[in-house]
Amino acid sequence: MEYYLVILLVYLGTDLLAAWGLNLEFGVAGIANLAFIVTIAAGAYTYVICTLSSPAAGGGFQQYIGGFSLPFPLAVVAGTLMGGVVGVLIGITGLKRLRQDYQAVAMLVVSLMAATIVSADTSFLNGNAGVAILPQFAPLSDQDPEIQHWGYVAIVAVACIVGFLVLRRFTDGPIGRTLRAMRDDESAAAAVGKDVVALRLMVQAVGGAFGGLSGALLVAFIGGWSPGAWAYVETLALLTAVIVGGMGSNRGVSVGTFLIAILILQGVQFLPQISFRIGLREDLGWILLGTLTIVFIWVRPQGVLPERRPKYGRSP
Amino acid sequence: MNGSARPILEVSDLVKHYGGVRAVDGVSFTVQRGTITGLIGPNGAGKSTVLNVIGGFLPPGSGHVIFDGEDVTGKPMHRLARLGVVRTFQMARVFGGLTMIENLLVAAPAQRGESAFGILGGKRIWGRQEAELLERAREMLRVFGMEDKADDYARNLSGGQKRAVETMRALMAKPKLLLLDEPMAGLSPSLSKQLEELFLNLTRDGLSLLLVEHELGTVDRLCSKVVVMAQGKVLAEGRMAELRTNKEVQDAYVIG
Repeated sequence: MEYYLVILLVYLGTDLLAAWGLNLEFGVAGIANLAFIVTIAAGAYTYVICTLSSPAAGGGFQQYIGGFSLPFPLAVVAGTLMGGVVGVLIGITGLKRLRQDYQAVAMLVVSLMAATIVSADTSFLNGNAGVAILPQFAPLSDQDPEIQHWGYVAIVAVACIVGFLVLRRFTDGPIGRTLRAMRDDESAAAAVGKDVVALRLMVQAVGGAFGGLSGALLVAFIGGWSPGAWAYVETLALLTAVIVGGMGSNRGVSVGTFLIAILILQGVQFLPQISFRIGLREDLGWILLGTLTIVFIWVRPQGVLPERRPKYGRSP
Repeated sequence: MNGSARPILEVSDLVKHYGGVRAVDGVSFTVQRGTITGLIGPNGAGKSTVLNVIGGFLPPGSGHVIFDGEDVTGKPMHRLARLGVVRTFQMARVFGGLTMIENLLVAAPAQRGESAFGILGGKRIWGRQEAELLERAREMLRVFGMEDKADDYARNLSGGQKRAVETMRALMAKPKLLLLDEPMAGLSPSLSKQLEELFLNLTRDGLSLLLVEHELGTVDRLCSKVVVMAQGKVLAEGRMAELRTNKEVQDAYVIG
């Protein structure tokens, strides 16, 4: 039971980092990045190939590129950076004068292509079987299980606090205002001198880095990573958290993440087994997510905790 | 030709086709420094297209746009805006999810809070500049008599108010040349009158304006020069008083 709580907390922390990144891209800057999960995958895979030694030294039971035997902090940093790089690459696909809905579709295709390529080429990242790392909890591997578990929760918590402070630098203040303006009308933003291309790529780099960090911290905890872990629907779960929580609102998205990733997607596991169909409970979770998205877009598009309206009008 | 007498804007042989339609067909004119030039003509004459090409919203087919002695043909909008060419749109485009005053603040050029240094450094880097901008924005709202709407979301404003926001926003960007597409449409008569005065005052401080406008009274009061367009071409050029008696201009308006 206690270990289950540890699992939930680590999931919550890594999901928060990811949802904040997506909120910066979609909620604040208006980039409908349906390939967001790819930045998480990039961070996770980078973490894995950075911490593992070379494939041959590991007995050759899994194939992958790299194998640098780096310590935990460096591998996490590498995963974060790779998330940013992949975020920019995804962003480039949406740069041409596409309408927002077409951009979203282009990025969805990127997500599908990335998963297909990684699955098909087993020499790259071990294909569908995925890569596994041992030991888990790399920074704490020679400690007691209890210290390992709670120590790792503490590491994730620190990452979330630092992440949130960095995030607010981008969502508040003049830059946040500029990004929201770009979200509302790109042409009008350009007409008052905003370099929309540079802004979009910056947002993709920062949002992607949040995804990369999330993926690196998650894979160090669960110990393995395969295409099944980053199907495109995972982006939709994060998107639901953003929409239900409140697009553009960091607090709202945090609440949304708790609601979606923990209460609903974990909560359905406790439903009684009502049929012999395997995976029915998971499916119910996804149905609930889809329904929530639709209900919120119709009834409360601003979300549970909407973006705050700044009050400037009167002189102090 | 000496430097200061050179027009702020020189447009030569501008051509823009949409498929087979020659929306703009070899248009040339100039805008002198510190003056207001009017661009008039019947619907479909190509006025907005000319503005869109000068402002960098549309790439030209051919021809040249020289701003302040520099060839800026086909430059993207944000680069032009930073050089001092700021435009408004025919259908007012506001940032609906921002408040009215935020719409103005966002347009200020060279904001320290937008640089990498400012983003990571936080308020101590940009706080002072932000306070100054806030003062400027409040002053602008006072001039337009809209202080009470400062914290309203722009999406909830009326059509005329949105247009006023767009004009204020363009002015916050510190333009040298302002391209205005029907800035008076939908404004109350008293606000239009105020705006006319404001524009005239601003030209005394060196601002130049190119104004597309349907209300010929406004054009008459403001513009030292008027360019009449019809079917993608310049039909006539001169002072409004002269143009009123011009047979070709009358025909263009009647026939459309």
